[in-house]
Amino acid sequence: MTSLTSTLRQQAAEIVRAARQSVVQVQLDQRGLGAGIIWHSGSQRSRVLTNAHVVAAAGRRPAIRVKLPDERSVPAEVVATQRELDLALLEVPLGGLKPARRRVSNLPRPGELVFAIGHPFGDPEVVTVGLISGIGYLVWPRQGQRTPYLFSDVRLAPGNSGGPLINADGEVVGIAAMIIGGDLSTAIPALVAQRWVEQGEAI
Amino acid sequence: MVQNELRLLSQAMADAVEQAGRSLVTVFGRARQPATGIVFAEELVLTADHVLERDTNLSVAASDGTKRAATLVGRDPLSDIAVLRVSGLTLPALASASEARPGQLALAVGRPSEEGLMVSLGVVSKVTGPTRLMRGGVLEQIIRTDATPYPGFSGGALIDLSGAAFGMLTTGLLRGEPVVIPMAVALRIANTLAQKGQVRRGYLGVITQQVKLPPSQRAPGREQGLLVVRVEDDSPAERGGVIVGDILIAVEGQPVRDADELLGMLSGERVGQAVQVEVLRGGVAQMLTVVVGQRNA
Repeated sequence: MTSLTSTLRQQAAEIVRAARQSVVQVQLDQRGLGAGIIWHSGSQRSRVLTNAHVVAAAGRRPAIRVKLPDERSVPAEVVATQRELDLALLEVPLGGLKPARRRVSNLPRPGELVFAIGHPFGDPEVVTVGLISGIGYLVWPRQGQRTPYLFSDVRLAPGNSGGPLINADGEVVGIAAMIIGGDLSTAIPALVAQRWVEQGEAI
Repeated sequence: MVQNELRLLSQAMADAVEQAGRSLVTVFGRARQPATGIVFAEELVLTADHVLERDTNLSVAASDGTKRAATLVGRDPLSDIAVLRVSGLTLPALASASEARPGQLALAVGRPSEEGLMVSLGVVSKVTGPTRLMRGGVLEQIIRTDATPYPGFSGGALIDLSGAAFGMLTTGLLRGEPVVIPMAVALRIANTLAQKGQVRRGYLGVITQQVKLPPSQRAPGREQGLLVVRVEDDSPAERGGVIVGDILIAVEGQPVRDADELLGMLSGERVGQAVQVEVLRGGVAQMLTVVVGQRNA
């Protein structure tokens, strides 16, 4: 009989193996700035989602590159940024990549397991695990609307920013954004990111 | 979809949090960070005493966000337990877990703000016997966990994966360390508070030292006792005839092996009652009658 722990370990390894096909590193002058997620891929071009603060480090220099899971490095152009949500959309001149599977129908629930994949301190493709710790809300002063964000205790470090939080079904549920102290960090829900990408809506 | 135990575990945790979360409220009783409370009976909420920095102008908020006024029913600073009454509150009472075993997966759950539940994962680290508390007195059992207590978790619950509570979390009992008061203990104290408004603790007025009895003074179940090294003036013990040098060996026929056990025997219902205290005096067993006094919190 296979033990439960080895089953869980195998399933976790499988989830990570599949998910990392859609995780990139955002680079400037060959230095890692953070992580990114392949969000959409056409025949000629693909779009990568990352944090606005990750690309902000590049300033006005058009020198951002994206390093793909297969080690290829391609130039990237910032298509749009949304600083309140800390999101940026990049475009790369390469099609046929593997977009991330994501959960955009609902928010993850507190208590759900999540894996993070990123490049903490430039160390490529490191996996950490934790829980969705809770849901917080960003209030938009002018519209009075609320946008949810996620709290998680997944261990993150600089270099995880822009990388995915993945649930036990292998779907991206959030984009790692900020370490807020203690063992807590925040992430932008995948459904919020999806709405912004599709409709330019920040809600 | 393929069988996926990892997904089942993840769902079980989220379900447990959701289930227990229905019985958790946000407690507003201090200027800074609000805390958590556990609904344990109709209109009654259990919380940590130390999170109530005032006696009036208290309120709670449930998962639907509605804020309701709460009145303080009773508080017991020694065990860090307080009970609030919230009229019109019809949330389900939180279920109790049957037992806590070291190593069991455990989730710490709080409702530190109206934004919703917060949760952290750990295990039941240890289940200890009678534990002496910072402010005096003894709790018959406490549970330790390595689950992180986020700000506002005091008064929240440590639950198992079915959503049943091992106990109430607090960081106000032992030097800021997270401690879980087992549900049975917390509910007993909470029910006393709900009925009487206070928890009474017994007082004898002796300082004792544990001693091992020599073979000639032993009896079955009686291998050690408490040597009285001081008797307070005008205390219940003095009035009952206890003198320095006596060795306390039993209260109401129950052997007394250490001071924590003695304190545990002087619980609420014995306050004001005459109890039979058996001592060894000059090697001879004697029965004294002592009227148990009340300890001031």
